[in-house]
Amino acid sequence: MNRRLARLLVGLYPRGWRARYGDEFEALLLDRPGGLEAVANVFWAAFCEHIFPTQGGAMHREAVSFGSVMKQPSAYLPLAMSVTALALVLLHVARYGAMHEVDEGPTAHLWQLLMVLQAPVIVVFAVKWLRRAPRQALLVLAQHVGAALASVGAVFFFNLG
Amino acid sequence: MRSTRDVVSDEDMGKGHYSDPPLLVLASLANGPKHGHAMIEDIAGMCGTRLGPGTLYGAIGRLEAQGWIAPMAAVERRQPYRITAEGKRVLRAKLGTLQRFASAGLERLEVK
Repeated sequence: MNRRLARLLVGLYPRGWRARYGDEFEALLLDRPGGLEAVANVFWAAFCEHIFPTQGGAMHREAVSFGSVMKQPSAYLPLAMSVTALALVLLHVARYGAMHEVDEGPTAHLWQLLMVLQAPVIVVFAVKWLRRAPRQALLVLAQHVGAALASVGAVFFFNLG
Repeated sequence: MRSTRDVVSDEDMGKGHYSDPPLLVLASLANGPKHGHAMIEDIAGMCGTRLGPGTLYGAIGRLEAQGWIAPMAAVERRQPYRITAEGKRVLRAKLGTLQRFASAGLERLEVK
């Protein structure tokens, strides 16, 4: 197989896989005939690697840092939503004082929306990252829980619930 | 009914290709470390199955993740792998099961 095709095929794999196996896999492709069957085989294997990534061993250890996980929208969005919800509570208290209102106002509805809508985002994050980078994902999930508890705790602390 | 011993042609041998890539890789490494290209040729010689490069590395990745094979020092860019003690234990167990299964299946075929 020629070098250009080999590089192109290696590029189909996820970054973590390439970091671990890319160099040796390219060397293997260069040793093998580059027929349609081999190309189709690599296409399919790369697709499967995206869907069912190789876990454990030396995979993804160097490729996935806590910072790179935190850059995922599904990691930072729930945090931003909890912090916004907390800010809403604090602004409400600063403006109207800590009084329980029987009739829920727009602030309460917005707070509820922010808290409920982050749940599916957290689920998506957990499904995607717990298998790929368990330690980093657990740290992010702990932050999600901490931020959500802070927001809920503020509501109860100021007796707004 | 004819005995199966009488009807195994070259074409039938082709149909008998065994395809369990992780097991084939373990079996290939059982007699010494090999890099990818050597594994493909060895497996083809052993049972007629020629693994594609993507299939081979899919198996290598999973076997390494399970600790059943381990990489050795690379020779140029070629990466040899060796089977681990745990890999040998797993291979022995799987081949034992296959042997019992094959014996039972062949015995049934011989019953007239």
